[in-house]
Amino acid sequence: MQIQKEYGVRRVYQTTPGENGAKALRLSDQIVELGSREFDLYSQVAAWLPTQEPEEVFCQRVGVPPTRLGAVVDKLAEGGLLYRRSEIPDTITGPELHKHFQKILPSWLAEAFSHPFWERMTEGRGSKRLFTGWLIELYHYTKNANRHMPLSCAHTRDKPLKLLRAKHYAEEWNHYHYFTKALKALGYADDGVATSVPLPMSLALSNFMRQAAREDILAYSICSAVLEGTTTDRQTYNPYYEKCAEHYGLPREAIRPIYAHLDLDVQYQHSDLFQEILEKVGTISATRAGRILEYGHQLAEHIWLWTDDIEKYYSNELNPVPRRPFDPQLD
Amino acid sequence: MEMGFPLLRRTASVQRKDGQLIIEHLSSEVTLEGNAAALLDRLLPLLDGKTSLGTLAEKLDERPERLAQLAKQLGAAGVLAFRTEDDGSRMTGAQFYELHKERCRHWLRPIYDHPLWTKIVEGKASRAQVIGFAFEKYHYIEGAYEHMAIGAANASPEMMPHLARHFIEEYNHGDIYRKGLQSLFPDEIILSAQPLPSTRALVNFLSESAGRNSFAYYAGNELLQLTENTGDDDSGQSVNAFYDGMKKHYPWTERLINSFIAHTHADQKLGHDDVFQQMCASIPPLTRQEVRDALEVTRSMAEHLRLFMDGIEVFYERFPGIPRTAITLRSE
Repeated sequence: MQIQKEYGVRRVYQTTPGENGAKALRLSDQIVELGSREFDLYSQVAAWLPTQEPEEVFCQRVGVPPTRLGAVVDKLAEGGLLYRRSEIPDTITGPELHKHFQKILPSWLAEAFSHPFWERMTEGRGSKRLFTGWLIELYHYTKNANRHMPLSCAHTRDKPLKLLRAKHYAEEWNHYHYFTKALKALGYADDGVATSVPLPMSLALSNFMRQAAREDILAYSICSAVLEGTTTDRQTYNPYYEKCAEHYGLPREAIRPIYAHLDLDVQYQHSDLFQEILEKVGTISATRAGRILEYGHQLAEHIWLWTDDIEKYYSNELNPVPRRPFDPQLD
Repeated sequence: MEMGFPLLRRTASVQRKDGQLIIEHLSSEVTLEGNAAALLDRLLPLLDGKTSLGTLAEKLDERPERLAQLAKQLGAAGVLAFRTEDDGSRMTGAQFYELHKERCRHWLRPIYDHPLWTKIVEGKASRAQVIGFAFEKYHYIEGAYEHMAIGAANASPEMMPHLARHFIEEYNHGDIYRKGLQSLFPDEIILSAQPLPSTRALVNFLSESAGRNSFAYYAGNELLQLTENTGDDDSGQSVNAFYDGMKKHYPWTERLINSFIAHTHADQKLGHDDVFQQMCASIPPLTRQEVRDALEVTRSMAEHLRLFMDGIEVFYERFPGIPRTAITLRSE
């Protein structure tokens, strides 16, 4: 039981098969290559660590002599795949947390956008309907900023932080108009879009942000930073829109407002806001820091599942676009 | 039945086959043949909810009585609706209860037909999906601390006793599932484990509804209640078959299943089966807006429940790490 209490498992963001059963495991800061037998042993140890199974039962089950288990685990920790809980610092400063976040963010974003939907769309296996559906949900998500951004101000006691959050809200609250314009160019009237019903996962995104806003301003701010992290570089989003325009015959008027919105986000430098906030924060306990990071990672997971929900709903030709509110007479 | 301005329900679909008109709506199907089919075929393009039956009869050069008879039959089958100019009409709680029950039956279909059930029963689900199912059930039931508490704290005066009782009777049901999970994982791991985004979505939707509209929240919650095993013959047998399949293919889940069964028994003892019906019988008539809101929340609840199932199926397939241990400053 001691080993199980002493060690934790590091997150593996991607596992790539190599020759003869070898695997390359991508962590946020390195790639660890394991042979077939090493990988099997690592998988067994990683699955066992958070369980109730006693050490001796585990050793017998996987065929590792009990005297060697400590060495195996040490080796995996040296390789970066496990970590010692004793190495977790008691506290961390705001700027240190931001540095840590910056190192992890690319891995989180890669995970968030690893859904097959994106390749499907850019390779021409999607449809105008799917693009439109995605845009409608993006409209809801952007409009729903009004459900969570002001809430983050309301639940903050710290003046400098609530000032920054309020400023951010003032700059963003009406950005859904860009999507109204884009959707209009695709033939969807303002009223039909405004009265439409978001998909459960679109609503879930804003509900999750509301949850964060009530719990901890830094948890909220990391979620906001993950979202802003998706719009920092034109090179990351232009190809998607350009390819979609080409494959699905989208008018330029449907794309132009989206570029204008993204450019505005870059101009406001909203991706730097989290750093600005954390520079105003002193010491944070390890438990709180873990919880903040949890929110950031879960937001990335929300994006993945949001994409899944969009693809499922709008792929079905029988589903109405946009989604209409329930009407006891009409439905 | 008051027949104002008829219209085909937009959730109905019409198919033409060998001279027949087949109309599907929710879980029912109506087939018309011969003259009736021909008449409806002519009528369909004119059913806009703005034209009275008399005007429709004139437009089609048809006898009004014949048209009224057909409209009445289709109205009774639920295929046609009749708009009225009076928007102030109200629905009694008892009428709402019947409407709600009928819609729930339809909206729950995608949940009962979800592929995850078959995958588990046939042993095709992965270890992560099976344990994930138990964990997500735990997180969802543990969510009572959030949504039931918010519901009670924000209850309208007439709903307060129901929502207070509901919270007090159910807040500790998560512990029943926790006990099952303890057969596999240490308690501190279970308590700090993180739910899937889809489970969070369900709990958060319940919480948001609970804070906004007591009756709509309870109407949505009733849909979830309908999925619980009431112990009657049909549902009891299918649930037992599910547990048998799970035990057969995943023998290490026995104590998890025991916790599921213990929770079912705890729910059955509470006798919550007819609470919603009693509640509907005791409330003043509902405005059209109140009906719309409560049914919108119920429909959305069904969609969130489908999402809950999807999450377990697709997320644990793509990201099989289980349990979803809490992040630390070294784990990422």
